[in-house]
Amino acid sequence: MSVGDAPTPATGSAVDLDSRQWLAQLRTKHPQHEHAVAMLHDMLLRVARHELSRRRAQLRWISGPELDDLAHQSADDALVNVLRRLDEFRGLSRFTTWAYKFAVFEVSSKVARHAWRRQPPDAGELASDRLPDSLAPRPGDRLEQRERLAALAAAIGELTARQRKVFVAIALNDVSIDVLALELGSNRNAIYKNLFDARRNVRAKMAAAGHAVTEQDAIG
Amino acid sequence: MTDHRRLDELLRAQEGDAGCSASEDILDAYVELELAGKDPAHMFPGTAIHLQSCPGCRADHDGLLEAARRFGDLKLQ
Repeated sequence: MSVGDAPTPATGSAVDLDSRQWLAQLRTKHPQHEHAVAMLHDMLLRVARHELSRRRAQLRWISGPELDDLAHQSADDALVNVLRRLDEFRGLSRFTTWAYKFAVFEVSSKVARHAWRRQPPDAGELASDRLPDSLAPRPGDRLEQRERLAALAAAIGELTARQRKVFVAIALNDVSIDVLALELGSNRNAIYKNLFDARRNVRAKMAAAGHAVTEQDAIG
Repeated sequence: MTDHRRLDELLRAQEGDAGCSASEDILDAYVELELAGKDPAHMFPGTAIHLQSCPGCRADHDGLLEAARRFGDLKLQ
């Protein structure tokens, strides 16, 4: 993995006029401060409601009023974050898009927490070494394919305990990365790193066993 | 989907992946390039790779892209 993409921050004059107005009026000493904060909260609430409806399938057991309460909590927390981080706005996007990001992140995090509390991953989803049905060998499979799947199963078995748990849960059993992070007392970034390393190791082990997934693996 | 393609996706681990934190940091800029009809992978290649592989960040990206598209024109009055 790399250290990330390094964007070039916009200079003061490159920040668009609307964004500059938002930044100015959200400052505590500005006469329009309270009005701007109320407007921002209203917008964050719209985004949170929309994002919750987009993720509704993950919260099937939650009633309408409870869902709206979650939208308010997300908008409140996003607002606090935005106001605390005003100085971090670099003008890489419109101010509104930057602010909406915090509402989306809040919803994402709260949905995962609800899902985890309601239905944490079971032991089978974390430890099963059975290949998913879509990959499991079938009677009519050619020998080459059956050998490749056997190599996959063997490579998974050689992962570290942590990598295996993360790979099995996310890649094989479709457990949400954020739900798994909560279950393991970790965070998305660290779990993703485990997943990345697991995937790379399985690829390498399969290639070493003569079952490269792609030509590049065979060369590498 | 062929067995090979399914496996390739299952084991996707591409060099240059920016990771979650770095991608979250510039996600707003990334979606604005998309909304402008530009290719965000040109400016943010590591994030483009990451979004193909990380289901959590991809869901956040999709949500932000939709929010910016739907509510992006709201102005301070």
